[in-house]
Amino acid sequence: MTQPTRAPTLAHTPPTRSAIAERLAEIVGERHVLSRPSELLVYNSDGLPGYRRQPRLAVFPGTREETIAVVRLLADEGLPFVPRGAGTGLSGGALADDIVVIGLHRLKKIISLDVENRRATVEPGVVNLRLNKHVAPHSLLYAPDPSSEAACTIGGNVAENAGGPHCLKYGVTLNHVLAMTVVLPSGEVVELGSKVGERDGYDLRGAFIGSEGCFGLALDITVKLMVKPQTVRTLLADFTSVDQAAHVTSAIIASGIVPAALEFMDGPTIRVVEDSIYAAGYPRDAEAILLIELDGLDAGVSADLEAVRRICLDGGARNVKVARDDAERMKLWQGRKKAFGAMGRLAPHLIVQDAVIPRTRLPDILATIRAISEKYGVVVCNVFHAGDGNLHPNIAYSADDPAESERVHKAMTEIMRACIDAGGSITGEHGVGLDKMGYMESIFSESSLNAMCELRAVFDPERRSNPGKVVPVHACKEWHAVPGGRLRVSM
Amino acid sequence: MARRARRPFAGEHVSTEAVVSAIKESGSNRTPLRIAGRSTWLDAGRPVRADKTLSLRDDSGVVSYVPGDLTLTVRAGTTLDEIGRVTGEHDQWLPLDPYGSNDGTIGATIATASAGPLASSFGFPRDLLLGLEFVNGRGDVVRGGGKVVKNVAGFDLSRLLTGSWGTLGVITEVTLRLYARPKVDRTFVVKLRGTEKQVTGLLRAFRGAPIAPFAMELLNATSARALSLDDNPVCLIRLGGNAAAVDAQIKAIATVVKVDEVADAMWSQLRNLENGADDTIRIAALPVQFVATSAAMLKDEMPGIFSYVNIHRGVMRIFTSPQALTVAAGIPDGRTSVDLRVSSENPGEGVVVYEKLPAEVWPIVSPTVISDSLSQGIKKAYDPHGILNPGILGD
Ligand SMILES: Cc1cc2nc3c(=O)[nH]c(=O)nc-3n(C[C@H](O)[C@H](O)[C@H](O)COP(=O)(O)OP(=O)(O)OC[C@H]3O[C@@H](n4cnc5c(N)ncnc54)[C@H](O)[C@@H]3O)c2cc1C
Repeated sequence: MTQPTRAPTLAHTPPTRSAIAERLAEIVGERHVLSRPSELLVYNSDGLPGYRRQPRLAVFPGTREETIAVVRLLADEGLPFVPRGAGTGLSGGALADDIVVIGLHRLKKIISLDVENRRATVEPGVVNLRLNKHVAPHSLLYAPDPSSEAACTIGGNVAENAGGPHCLKYGVTLNHVLAMTVVLPSGEVVELGSKVGERDGYDLRGAFIGSEGCFGLALDITVKLMVKPQTVRTLLADFTSVDQAAHVTSAIIASGIVPAALEFMDGPTIRVVEDSIYAAGYPRDAEAILLIELDGLDAGVSADLEAVRRICLDGGARNVKVARDDAERMKLWQGRKKAFGAMGRLAPHLIVQDAVIPRTRLPDILATIRAISEKYGVVVCNVFHAGDGNLHPNIAYSADDPAESERVHKAMTEIMRACIDAGGSITGEHGVGLDKMGYMESIFSESSLNAMCELRAVFDPERRSNPGKVVPVHACKEWHAVPGGRLRVSM
Repeated sequence: MARRARRPFAGEHVSTEAVVSAIKESGSNRTPLRIAGRSTWLDAGRPVRADKTLSLRDDSGVVSYVPGDLTLTVRAGTTLDEIGRVTGEHDQWLPLDPYGSNDGTIGATIATASAGPLASSFGFPRDLLLGLEFVNGRGDVVRGGGKVVKNVAGFDLSRLLTGSWGTLGVITEVTLRLYARPKVDRTFVVKLRGTEKQVTGLLRAFRGAPIAPFAMELLNATSARALSLDDNPVCLIRLGGNAAAVDAQIKAIATVVKVDEVADAMWSQLRNLENGADDTIRIAALPVQFVATSAAMLKDEMPGIFSYVNIHRGVMRIFTSPQALTVAAGIPDGRTSVDLRVSSENPGEGVVVYEKLPAEVWPIVSPTVISDSLSQGIKKAYDPHGILNPGILGD
């Protein structure tokens, strides 16, 4: 243990910011503690535009032991904190409002790789793409592939229960995590799940995944790896109407073929991508394209490919193009994966919205979104995981223009409302964070929210880990029992 | 409590209310409840200290089913058979085949996280569950998750309730992910004759072969005999998908070893074998290590003991008729010979789960599985009066 002995402090006298910074520096080294406001600017936002919160301090432990010691020090002082991976989160989950940020990007060891049993244990700061590069020589892969895979961390994936295009067939983070070691906000270290098989007892691993940093910090994560499919084929189908593409999506799902991915891009998105350096050769005059990937055993894939091509053509596709080689595949995917980046050229800020609807509702919800965008005079770019019904209606705008911001905000609220009314969810993969807390009461009853508060209170009785996120405070019946003063300690 | 006029919110079923009032009554006079589905697997759990039974068997039926969405919402008392029938009409299915039979209720299947051979390709109940409604020990109606196939809104109460054996709440409704029925779904048997080394080699070859079976179970000779398949251990393989994919896989297997097709009904017969058993133990170890261990296990078998192994997941189930296992494998000491074999080769890597034991054996081999402080905290928060299935997971 590297935890230093604690200098005696007078009871009830909160330590000063510099005193805490010094003691954190004793654990992690001076270079890895930031306390000057100018240095902390980088950490005042994450992937969610329009929100800024200035942390008090940021600390970057380099080892598991240092991380535990940092959490224990903060526990001793009753100080709240926010875990942070790469900060690519799109719901404001990694924002720290005048409290401590624990940055985990230095914890980037791939601790073990068990090729025969197809598992790996990694530290939380390991970036998805790096894990995949590491296991690729063994013909293995880690399936969850958020579009941010070049930057985001497995720890952040666990916290958000991240998804990605290939989650249609292979499932989200939850379905790929076997076990993890967690340091609870109290400093206690616990093992959740099992590296070997399903245990009995409560599924605490399942409860932790998607807890958005509110249940403590994941210190290591054991994930399942898959054998690379024998064959992968990628198709691009283009349509002159959004409605046709939406119906074809539903038809493919209903056919029983489970594509590895089924992604949708509408006309505005296609044109933005084609105008950017990520141009993928999508037809600029199309009103929608579907990017469909099929994988598996050679023989099976060829048969499905034919079936999917038929469904597309019968549903009104102008063209169905099948990528001839890996280079062509990568190019088609590049446009999809970088679509958000391309939209960044349109305006200084981009809202990447995330909602889910039942898949049969796709045609009518897309029509509703179009009507809403016209009503408010905003351009909505739809690029999303159609096979799952996981929408991403995005709006590029300038957050510095109050009138525009207001229109954008109103349009987004109406879009979310339409998704909720369709029986959907307010988030399929980006999490609630700060951004979506206002919607929680429209999909969960008071007692459901209270049950969530109670679960959180077991992991974090003082509510010091990522306070003020996910479940609105007033929804927690027991909230007043918590010594509220401890949440905002002067440092 | 004064009864207000019922104002159900969308989708609310009248009998959630019945569960609420039963729980509130039990809470106020502190009478513990045994929660039951159709009671097909009731004795599986540790001894429950309860005065009354709250049965969900009559609370059944489809709440909503839009085939195009491939999701299904049903009341907890709906049987797996009924789900199979309803979804089958639309050429869909819930690929969940817990050992035992299809007479059980979906509520109990989720509550016990029961799975079967198909889990190696379609996942466990936790992977198929999209959302649920339950009533906690205070009588509050709680919903977790939702009705769509992807959802990260809020903390994950659905996973928390899955496998909680009714101790955190009474599940009243569940929403599940469905799949389209495969065009082709065929079952094959491979007879495992030869030396232990040959069998191990064969199993390794299967693991590396270009096949993606829906299910693949290794049966010891006792199980194989019970299904009239062979006097030796066998491997049952279920292949599904389009015709081309299935044909290619049959070919791939046939290059290694002789395969014969058998009736699909073999799977339900296999699952049913356990119904008469007194003891069921599930042992998980790592797949590769398991392939070796299980081949040995299959050969040198203990009389009267049934076992099968899922070689993809590395899970072995062993069970037996009355008392035999207890005697043969020395359960009262908390160890089975299989358990010893797994753990002595790879210390600390095996997980042994006792699924069904005679009541008096439970306290000896596995007094509790919820003794850690997080589990205790959750139990206390969700069931403060301790009235839901007390004792079923230990204390
Ligand atoms: C261009 C772009 C595309 C994206 N595409 C997708 C997509 O396809 N699918 C998808 O699901 N998401 C997507 N995202 C969102 C985001 O990348 C994911 O949510 C990702 O998992 C966040 O990882 P991170 O390391 O950046 O986490 P951060 O943003 O740093 O943190 C996210 C949350 O996790 C918590 N956290 C971080 N590390 C830990 C830890 N070790 N223990 C406990 N809590 C922790 C934080 O407190 C915070 O609440 C995208 C984002 C961008 C910018």
